[in-house]
Amino acid sequence: MKPNIQGRFFVLTATTAAIASIALFTAEPAQARKPFTQDELAAQYKELMDTVKQGDELWHNAKLGKNGLACANCHPDAAAANPHTFPKFQPNLGQVIPLRDMINWCIQVPLEGQALDANSKEMKALEAYAFYMHRGFKLKPGENTKQHPPIEVRSGPGYP
Amino acid sequence: MTDFSKMSRRDFLGFTGKAGLTTLVASAVGTSFGMVQVAEAAGNARLTPFRFAILTDAHLYDIPDHKFDGILKKAVEDINAMNPPPDFVVYLGDIAQSGKRAELEKGRRILAKLKVPLKVIPGEHDWYLDMGKAWRDMYGSPTWSFDHKGVHFIGMNSILVRDFWTLKSLTPDERMGFMEELECHQCGLWGVREEQLDWLKKDIKKLKPDTPVVVFTHSPLWDYYPRWNFQTEDAPQIREILSGFERVMAFHGHVHQVVYNRIGNLSSVGTLSTSWPWPYPGVELPFPDIRMNRVDPGDILDGLGTQYIDLEKEFNGALHYQAWSDLLPEGVEKGVKL
Repeated sequence: MKPNIQGRFFVLTATTAAIASIALFTAEPAQARKPFTQDELAAQYKELMDTVKQGDELWHNAKLGKNGLACANCHPDAAAANPHTFPKFQPNLGQVIPLRDMINWCIQVPLEGQALDANSKEMKALEAYAFYMHRGFKLKPGENTKQHPPIEVRSGPGYP
Repeated sequence: MTDFSKMSRRDFLGFTGKAGLTTLVASAVGTSFGMVQVAEAAGNARLTPFRFAILTDAHLYDIPDHKFDGILKKAVEDINAMNPPPDFVVYLGDIAQSGKRAELEKGRRILAKLKVPLKVIPGEHDWYLDMGKAWRDMYGSPTWSFDHKGVHFIGMNSILVRDFWTLKSLTPDERMGFMEELECHQCGLWGVREEQLDWLKKDIKKLKPDTPVVVFTHSPLWDYYPRWNFQTEDAPQIREILSGFERVMAFHGHVHQVVYNRIGNLSSVGTLSTSWPWPYPGVELPFPDIRMNRVDPGDILDGLGTQYIDLEKEFNGALHYQAWSDLLPEGVEKGVKL
């Protein structure tokens, strides 16, 4: 997205360009603040990746349950977690749920563990990992019939 | 009386699935009679028809009365109840989850209830805690062959990786921990390696090209999805060594799913586990119709099962998946032609 300051410059310089840039103004909402600096963006991205990494570690950790199983037993690379299909009606729960409820169901039933607080750091990290491993997928709330393949990972953990 | 209006779609599919099983067996027998007649007319018999079964990937934990213990016991009971019974059972690896002797011992106790002989090859979960010591103490060499009713059977250890632990000074537990992850990105590709390739060359040397050959490995003998070691690095060499035979059938564990491929003279079929099913990776299946349905997470037995193979006189036949739920599309329910 172009910063609007460039559009203003065009308004002052050419009439035809001004028409085009007015169209641009109406198409793009005004900035609420100055654009983030590269340093700010990098810091935000690092926070996100730290959370994804924490989620990755939890996803592969049997400590969430009591029978040795971890999320990754059935969901390697978060495959078949289908985060982009939530919220949806989950037949085995009989109601519409967000992803975190399904994660808690998996912790309680297949893993035989204690449900996490929905607002806990751990739950946010697990969600971050599952979503990040499906980046680029189209949102399909309610999709309940297909087994979506995960992103194809060539090397490393699947994220930077 | 059954009230169909109150049945969910899933109940309905489960119901028809069970009803379909009887017709499935009947049609399989019908098909095999057809084949026998053709074979006799041609006078081209290469083997005496028989059946064998495959069990795999139980992933037993060293936890008393773990749910996977019960599933393996159920699989053993199913195979013992088969009519006609299989001549033998082959186990395709991953008896244990974390390579512990106690896990392997538990598996051996459960598998000892089988009424027919058992042959076993290892998986990575059996191996990397003590580099296969406990497994070998129980089952001997992971590389073997035998002849049965005209068929040459071969088993190999396909989960050998290059040493990734010495340089990092990993403990055996840490090494096993890495190997336990399907998507381990430090462990590298699996293979059978030079020693077994040399063994294979010698093993088949005296066989005639029309000998029926069946190969068992834990991982597939083709490049399916290397990320999850749905591959064997030296599979091309194995296929080359076996290329002189008219036909080779390969069966593998590890993928916990229905999958099929054919490369040259070799057909390769994946098998159902008795622990958990695995989703299909994000690559195209070579035979997209030979697959399993999406699994219901609320059903502990969905996606799991056993399988048996009926071999006919001309070294043809089919693999029949014995799923415990409505897992299989209609085409696959009737058996996968080999």
